[in-house]
Amino acid sequence: MPPVADTNQTDTLIADLVAGLAPVRPMRFAHGMGLSVAGLAAALAAAALLIGLRDDVLAGSPDPLFLLSNGLFLLLGIAASAAVVMMSRPSVGRDHSGWAWAAAMAALLPATAVIFALGGQTGSLTSQAALHGLDCLLLGGAFGLLTFAALVAWLRRGAPTSLERAGLVTGIASGSFGIFAYSLHCDFSDIVHIGIWHGGAVMLSAAVGRFAVPKMVRW
Amino acid sequence: MKADEASLARLMALAQGGDRLAYATLLTECQRWLRTYYARRVAPSQLDDLVQETLLSLHRKLATWDQTRAFLPWLAAIARYRWVDHLRGLYRSKEGELPEDVAGIDEEPAITARISLERLFAQLPLAQARAIELVKIEGLSVADASRACGQSESLVKVNIHRGLKKLTAMIEKA
Repeated sequence: MPPVADTNQTDTLIADLVAGLAPVRPMRFAHGMGLSVAGLAAALAAAALLIGLRDDVLAGSPDPLFLLSNGLFLLLGIAASAAVVMMSRPSVGRDHSGWAWAAAMAALLPATAVIFALGGQTGSLTSQAALHGLDCLLLGGAFGLLTFAALVAWLRRGAPTSLERAGLVTGIASGSFGIFAYSLHCDFSDIVHIGIWHGGAVMLSAAVGRFAVPKMVRW
Repeated sequence: MKADEASLARLMALAQGGDRLAYATLLTECQRWLRTYYARRVAPSQLDDLVQETLLSLHRKLATWDQTRAFLPWLAAIARYRWVDHLRGLYRSKEGELPEDVAGIDEEPAITARISLERLFAQLPLAQARAIELVKIEGLSVADASRACGQSESLVKVNIHRGLKKLTAMIEKA
């Protein structure tokens, strides 16, 4: 037999909850993704209006490495955003790890960068290039802030059960969208620069998300 | 009314639309379900508190249930989250025996087994599960638990910390 309950208090609580019931609009996947993509759109608009686009993009003939790397960051941002949106609606038996495959693919960029850098096959290791890289690192993260805010707001409405993982993936999503937007301005098309500094922007954002978000979304 | 998946899902859909009668029935059924769900993994003196905390979470997170998905796995995810949170925050309890036998939760054993606390707990290495069981569920002090399971006191603490971290990560997966 299940334990006998002292149900008086629980019955009172149930009565209070019923009295306080108001209709709710279920959280929809499309709505959550819409918020995240709106953050990306705002970042793209800000990049275009505030700092300008790189010449080859304006000319309509972008560098292949730019297309490849930015495509990976965009896909990673979409996959991570989808995972965060799904995490907000809990259910035993669901797996939210699809983003990890996109992250593994994007990780090829910094891995390749390290190999090339160790071989000295780059002109991106000068102090001037490092200063520009630092801009990419910080502004890439900054351009992701709107996506970050949108996803944190979504998680606060929702019920994520693993707060650390939700924070990490939120950081990856916002960092990926942020560096995607900033890359439209950055005129470096060098694998070492992209792998280290652009990849670093995603990693920095992921670290910030991992440690900052759990406190904001605890429920 | 039996607390079966289809009935609960129907009631929940009505509750999301603001139907108070359906919501009252749903909460009463959920209360019963939760008592049984938690029974073997919570000291009896803390059962009421945990059931109430979970009902409150259900109320606050009503919008997170997706009508195209099953209800009980959603409720179980919330219940597991509250349970792990409860274990984290638990101070030493003086509570004694836990019931040996617990009746089945409902008539859908496959779902019940899939979402049970036992299944989640089974993901832990034996030493971590034992440390959590002794200190966080049965209410022993770390020193008493150390004597009972043969782990050093510091190892008991480490195993509790690692075990709770792992439980948190596995709430929806296991």
